[in-house]
Amino acid sequence: MKSIVIGIHFQRDDVEPVTTAIPVENLFASVHAVDDDRPLADRDLLIEIAAVRARLLDRATFIAIRYGFSVRDANELASKCAGRTAKWRALLVEHRDEVEMTLKAPAAARPPRPDRRDFESGAAYLRALHDAAHTADLDPKFRGAVERTLVRRATGHRWIREAASVELAMLVRRSDLAAIRDAGEQLRAEFASTPFLLSGPWPLEVFSADDHQ
Amino acid sequence: MAEEKLEITLLETLDHLLDRGVVIAGEAVISIGDVDLLYLGLNIVLANVEAMQRTGRK
Repeated sequence: MKSIVIGIHFQRDDVEPVTTAIPVENLFASVHAVDDDRPLADRDLLIEIAAVRARLLDRATFIAIRYGFSVRDANELASKCAGRTAKWRALLVEHRDEVEMTLKAPAAARPPRPDRRDFESGAAYLRALHDAAHTADLDPKFRGAVERTLVRRATGHRWIREAASVELAMLVRRSDLAAIRDAGEQLRAEFASTPFLLSGPWPLEVFSADDHQ
Repeated sequence: MAEEKLEITLLETLDHLLDRGVVIAGEAVISIGDVDLLYLGLNIVLANVEAMQRTGRK
């Protein structure tokens, strides 16, 4: 058997009895045991894990581990998580009563792709290509409304700009979830022709990623 | 309409499962590329890894 790691939690009660908890220093990892022969790409397995993840979030906020990480035992888990648990513990304490919500919307206008002929060097062209992949923005009016209705209720937020879409990741108090959803509905009524997806709650995903620390 | 909403919810849930959270050694491959590559990678790369592991144990 192998154990797929779902998240890192503050205490054992945050994991059990939903699924199995494995101690990792002074925290606990939630894991889902599967047969060695079962591929990680099994669609039903993905759905099982997603369901467990949702039930875990109902109990308490946790740090999400990206799907695909599996271990054989507690020793392997401890060695692969070495040096990270102090930061995780601090995050779990700081955001104990918060969850993430996300809003995704298509960009107002897609920026033109850089043309190789406009650049003297390949390096400059590659830099431009990279930059162009993160320049999408929303219609200013819609973005302003999002700031007024959603962002003001969040305790933290990050705008993530891709090539053709923009995502807003928000940290939200659990007690404010209903207000955020109501604000999303008001936004949908006000901007009926602007498609967007407001989803959540999610565990700590964006706000626990290493590159955002 | 309800089915469409359910499908979007499932896709969004899987997107978060596959593309968000802390990355720990050994699974970065599935986060490379856009959505199509992600799923393609998941089906092919992970299946191959599993097959290789089984072969290695024999």
